[in-house]
Amino acid sequence: MGSKVPGEGDGLHDLSRDSFHERVHTFGHWFDSVNGYLEGRPLGYKEDLSAGEISPEVRDRLIATLCNYCVGETAALEGSGGLIRVAPNRSAKIFIATQAVDEARHLEVFTNRLRELGVEDPEAEIVSRAHPSLLKFKEKLLALVDQGDWLRAVFAQNVILEAMEFTVFQRHSTETDPITQDLLSGIINDERRHIGFGENELGRCLHADPGAAEKLVAVRQQLDPLVLETFDLALRDMGAPANERTELGRDYMDAVGRLGIA
Amino acid sequence: MSQQQKRRRYELDDRGFNEVPQKYRKYYRRREGPDDELAPNEILCPVCKIIVRSNRELRPGDRVYCMACLTRLRIAEGADGKLEAEVEY
Repeated sequence: MGSKVPGEGDGLHDLSRDSFHERVHTFGHWFDSVNGYLEGRPLGYKEDLSAGEISPEVRDRLIATLCNYCVGETAALEGSGGLIRVAPNRSAKIFIATQAVDEARHLEVFTNRLRELGVEDPEAEIVSRAHPSLLKFKEKLLALVDQGDWLRAVFAQNVILEAMEFTVFQRHSTETDPITQDLLSGIINDERRHIGFGENELGRCLHADPGAAEKLVAVRQQLDPLVLETFDLALRDMGAPANERTELGRDYMDAVGRLGIA
Repeated sequence: MSQQQKRRRYELDDRGFNEVPQKYRKYYRRREGPDDELAPNEILCPVCKIIVRSNRELRPGDRVYCMACLTRLRIAEGADGKLEAEVEY
């Protein structure tokens, strides 16, 4: 048993695990958290920002990238919405509902950004630019949700998909225009909660039923090739060298390693 | 004097971390590049890469929470002798 580290009056680090989870898996916590970085950003970015000059080539690559972000966010939105019914307890239902709201916002601000870049019909553009590997991933994720398989669906969505998005968005935010950068920054903040919830939920489930890890290994075998191909394509759209894939995939590999499903 | 009494204490200041409710912001900060050294009261969350701060020097066996990614962490001594955080599910 380790020693406790007291907080300063509010006792944050003194909380029991159950008390902590009870506190953070609430709509109130979600609202107070997102309010810190979304207030004054009705479109997802500070209104006084300017994108500056964007060349036609860079603009076209950015449109391709954002279209695929929309595919990923739509998958997560539909997935989260379906998982509310599947979630095993009230706390998980409330968290996954907040995630659904986050994903809806992401889809909205990315779609708006496409319009700002001159895309007249974002829906048609998204269809024409979507990478087949990402569409296939979406199909498989939603099939797991439809089956009501909480464990495998949370793994596919909150560990695999969210880890990929978290990494790609961070990489992208270092080399893009100020508006897209600020927009991505707010989304990355949301993704921290999503990947953390996924890893912690799976960690608890696997602790209770270690044999379930085999099911997740099978999911990995099915989805990893699609994720790695999507990584490559996302990097290509960003104009980044393909040899960055291994580096960018590290967070995902670390997460599955901690869960014992590497 | 016990080990517990010898711990150094820290006055936490708000470092602009805006991803958690206001009252908890002082317990966190963002990492400012690869040269950003952690203080003895700080630990890197392995899940979301945010730095978690305590008002006391951290030691192996301590538990802290990363509120940015909703994770409970246990402090351990790494192979290189430095403190690192392990996820407790």
